[in-house]
Amino acid sequence: MKSTLLWSGIASLAQLIWLVLAGPLALGLMRKVRSVIEGRDGARVTQPLRDLRKLAARQRTRPTDATWIFSAAPLVLVASALVLGALSPLASLHVLMSSRVDVVAVLFVLLLGSVALLLSALDTGTAFAGMGSSRAAMVGAMTEPALLVAILAMSLGAGTSNLARLVDAGVATSTLAGPARILALVSFFIAVLAETGRLPVDNPATHLELTMIHEAMILEYAGPDLALITWGESMRLVLLVGLFSNLALPWGIATSVGALSLGVGLLALTLKVAVVAIGVSLFEVTTAKLRLFRVPELLAGAFLLGVLSVISAVALR
Amino acid sequence: MKVSYVTPLDLAVVVVIVTAALTLWRQSLVASLRALSLQGVGLGVVAMVLGAHRRDPVLVFVGVLVLLIKGAAIPRLISRVVARDHPGREGSPLINIPASLVGAGLLTLLAFGATRGLVALIATPAARLIPFGVATTLIGFFAMVVRRRAVSQIVGLLTIDNGIALTAFLATSGVPLVVELGVSLDVLLAVAVLRVLAGHLHRQFNIQDLDQLRDLHD
Amino acid sequence: MTRLLALTVVAGLAAIAWGALSSRARVPLSALALVVSSAGAATLAVRVLATGTNFAWSQTNVLPLGGLDVRLTPLGALFVLVSAVVAIASSVYWTGYARHAMAGRSASASFALFTLSLLVVPMAGNVTTFLFAWELMALSSLILVAHDHARRPESISAARWYAVMTQGGAGAITLALVGLAAHAHSTRFSAIATASTHLSGAVASTFFLFALAGFASKAGVVPLHVWLPKAHAEAPGPVSALMSGAMVNLGVYGIILVGRTLLPQGPQWWWLVVSLLGGTTAAVGALYAATSRDLKRLLAYSTSDNMGLVLLALGASGLSLSTQHPRVASLALATAMVLLVNHSLFKSTLFLGAGAVHAATGSRNMDELGGLSRLMPLTSVTFLVGALAVSAIPPLNGFTGEWLLFQSLLHSLASHDVASVVAGTLAVAAMALTGGLTIIAFVKAFGITFLGRGRTERALGAHEATFSMRVAQGALALACVATGVVPYLLVGVVARGLAGVASPSISGWATLRLSSLSGALTPLFLSGALLGALALVAGWRTLVQRRHGFANVATLEAWGSGRHHQSPQMQYTATSYGEPILRVFDDVLRPDRDLDVSHVVESRYYLERIRYRASNEDVIERFLYRPALALLRAWARRVRVLANGSVHRYLAYGLAALVVILVILK
Repeated sequence: MKSTLLWSGIASLAQLIWLVLAGPLALGLMRKVRSVIEGRDGARVTQPLRDLRKLAARQRTRPTDATWIFSAAPLVLVASALVLGALSPLASLHVLMSSRVDVVAVLFVLLLGSVALLLSALDTGTAFAGMGSSRAAMVGAMTEPALLVAILAMSLGAGTSNLARLVDAGVATSTLAGPARILALVSFFIAVLAETGRLPVDNPATHLELTMIHEAMILEYAGPDLALITWGESMRLVLLVGLFSNLALPWGIATSVGALSLGVGLLALTLKVAVVAIGVSLFEVTTAKLRLFRVPELLAGAFLLGVLSVISAVALR
Repeated sequence: MKVSYVTPLDLAVVVVIVTAALTLWRQSLVASLRALSLQGVGLGVVAMVLGAHRRDPVLVFVGVLVLLIKGAAIPRLISRVVARDHPGREGSPLINIPASLVGAGLLTLLAFGATRGLVALIATPAARLIPFGVATTLIGFFAMVVRRRAVSQIVGLLTIDNGIALTAFLATSGVPLVVELGVSLDVLLAVAVLRVLAGHLHRQFNIQDLDQLRDLHD
Repeated sequence: MTRLLALTVVAGLAAIAWGALSSRARVPLSALALVVSSAGAATLAVRVLATGTNFAWSQTNVLPLGGLDVRLTPLGALFVLVSAVVAIASSVYWTGYARHAMAGRSASASFALFTLSLLVVPMAGNVTTFLFAWELMALSSLILVAHDHARRPESISAARWYAVMTQGGAGAITLALVGLAAHAHSTRFSAIATASTHLSGAVASTFFLFALAGFASKAGVVPLHVWLPKAHAEAPGPVSALMSGAMVNLGVYGIILVGRTLLPQGPQWWWLVVSLLGGTTAAVGALYAATSRDLKRLLAYSTSDNMGLVLLALGASGLSLSTQHPRVASLALATAMVLLVNHSLFKSTLFLGAGAVHAATGSRNMDELGGLSRLMPLTSVTFLVGALAVSAIPPLNGFTGEWLLFQSLLHSLASHDVASVVAGTLAVAAMALTGGLTIIAFVKAFGITFLGRGRTERALGAHEATFSMRVAQGALALACVATGVVPYLLVGVVARGLAGVASPSISGWATLRLSSLSGALTPLFLSGALLGALALVAGWRTLVQRRHGFANVATLEAWGSGRHHQSPQMQYTATSYGEPILRVFDDVLRPDRDLDVSHVVESRYYLERIRYRASNEDVIERFLYRPALALLRAWARRVRVLANGSVHRYLAYGLAALVVILVILK
């Protein structure tokens, strides 16, 4: 018992450290893939880490009208991502509190970070930030139904919404290709793209205020705060991609305690996340950003897939 | 229940319903037609899988035929019309897309609720999928109600037809060859006629939206 | 325990008397008596909850038809406790709020009467007592809604809507309860419940539907919700907190009373109807909350939304009960209660905060506010807590409710019954949709009102609420945090309240576990982990700043695309914040938009004026009530011929009626 607790603590810590590094590296990887396809050399994969170091060495700034919310938001964003990194089954099923963390909790802890950003944007008292906040809120509000219904569909199959047991159920079943599961995963994936502000929902590389969603929200941040936000966002991306790949292809995740299985788990996780990240950037190269008011159509489609998934989970059991 | 045939069958049926949803989801007519052709393929695969499972060569043959006609011939025919005299987009539908997708979800739920008794009665692995056949029909109907373009109407009509065929395959041991052939050819004919008509309308009155036909009334 | 009841009633009556009579220190004395009265009721409720036995007391000579009959069951005690907590906070708050409004005699006496009746309704043990208290509650709250009519003409219209809806509802409830009592030959609820087994299905269903309509209108269920945003918005701060935190609960209490206690053998479709109503209500409420710009209207619509979620849980419970899934039924019922109590806590926090904002600025229109967090620091923090709680953000109490709702629906979908599955899927969709919309609504409510820069002089001249107001808001906000971090504080109370109705379904102090169903959540550890991570990151930021020699944060002007001196009017307003949602749900909300462009006479390339007008009135009011009212008015005009003012004619009508009655009765 004691040693199990110790090992799950180690697993959580390992995941935490992995997440802290993997976030920026995944961003670097995605940019690299993009530039290679576009025929450029591109920056090194480690460039985002250097950017973070550079930003951290600058002075913090705040707009004249901002309050404590503005300076607390980056902290909340990163803290929520860190907590989820430690407590959700990414590399191992046996992390701290794994029997008490379920998908709904993960979703709502993520929301805590999103809400902090939405409020921080309004705190600056500028038009652009308000616009970004309004748009991000709209996209978020449309994403949540798809996400929640997809989660429900997946939980229906396993009879529980506990994350570790959901992933475990995936390990146990031989057929991964049930229609309910595939529909739920597609819906989940679209929602992940929207939630993390990737194309075709939002363009993370835009420099024009009027087309921005996420970038407009964080326009006022600089220095370590900006570093924290970039970092937090990248960790959220990796977290969601990691959860997605564990739900889709749970192979390799550590099902027992111990150094070896944890190592294998981390390696498998890295591979899976890298593959999905490369996939996402390949997809991004080939698509254009949707007009803002076409985004709800996309997300409503994801929602419909989720509903179809729930129905097929019920009808085909 | 043999896992070996249930999973592919489930998947093929889901392809049919998802493509039905896709015709509502995408505004681009080309995407709609691609979905339609995929739908035909899914339907063909359903027939073939069922035929293989029941060791019924006629059903397999019907499947191949469906695949060829509905998966390839009809969509190609329509896409020629589109390529010739229609711009590639559906105008704004009568009900906006998120709302119509929610409507499609509700219809599927309705189909599920309404066919529960039938499913329990037949109780084969294939029969579990009947709700999706009915839902496909309903979604096709719904698409005809909310879409304006003549071509979208044809797509909706074909979706209805596919839904009916799917339900028939799943509920019984398959439609007799002659009937299926007859229906498929009927649809082919209807499409051809509609195509000619749409072309005429377009040339004579420069009409693409069916709503505009009301103006001809006066 | 009879003494506690006596204390409650006597102190309550004293509060009414002080409110109506005394001229000096009217408000403090009355409020003090109300606090004593509510505390007495709360103690009584806690005793009943702790012992699990009913408390009964009756006095047959006071009222006709069965007399006064008090019978406090654990379930009723739960509602009394919630009402009492909200009432104590509102009374304390009132002492400060009275400087701004609601200090008059009639308002004071009505407020006391309203509070007392809220405490008494769930105690009623027979139909007579129930209806008596219910009517007092309706009338006193009506006076409070209309009390400011001299200054605000809108409140007359709100009061009119409220009067019609609440009296119509009361009529339906009276019909149902009196019918049931007649069948049972007794007005006592216990006798009615025993007799209900002999009731034929159609009759029982008719009574249930009447009761449902009446109670649903009180709970703000669509399409009977139209009075709610008007009345909640027009009522003064403490009253709207009581209405939203305690009064709407009693609508749910009534549905449980009739559907589960009085008519326990109801058919499945009753609960299907409840589920569908709940889903619609949640969606409509959330949509209007996300798109309205009046702060209190937004809160009122959100009340509808939350009551919809409660009904979803209630419906799931009923459906599971009828399909022989008692565990899921218990869980869903407990969920409904947790959602309800959570809502009372955070919504009264929010309404008190909105009242403070209104008192400080004289405006409820968020487009005129902004930047209040510097001027009203404590109010802004309590409002933030409430806003995060209603958005179900961990670790606040709303999160537990949302989680429980998800679990209830997940497990109810495991059933093989068609109705459960269809209702469950719709419920999840509604819950998911409202979750996102609620976040928009409350980010907007807090962000636009309290953050950024003040948009008008009114906002810039605001001041913090008085001490007593702050105490009330702070206490409720603390309750939201406490029940969020340690949900068992609440779940345990709810479990005791449901002791006679459902088996215990949730357990555990640090970790909530569902009994015999899969599901566990630990808000305590989760909040601990969040705090730890927060400290870690904050420490890192401070450390990094210090290492690079920066002692403070540089304050700079915000980026305005290269232009200087941005005015506060350039900020996003509440209207613009909700605009994307308005556009996406255009087909449902059907807002009125009007763009009026007039050109200069000389050239159409130069504009003289552009005027844009948009209104987003309740779609159900416009398309259901307005046509019905128009029809009624046309009919009334035709009937007017009958009343031409001649006394002889009226007397003739009377005679004719008498003759007809005599003929019928023979």
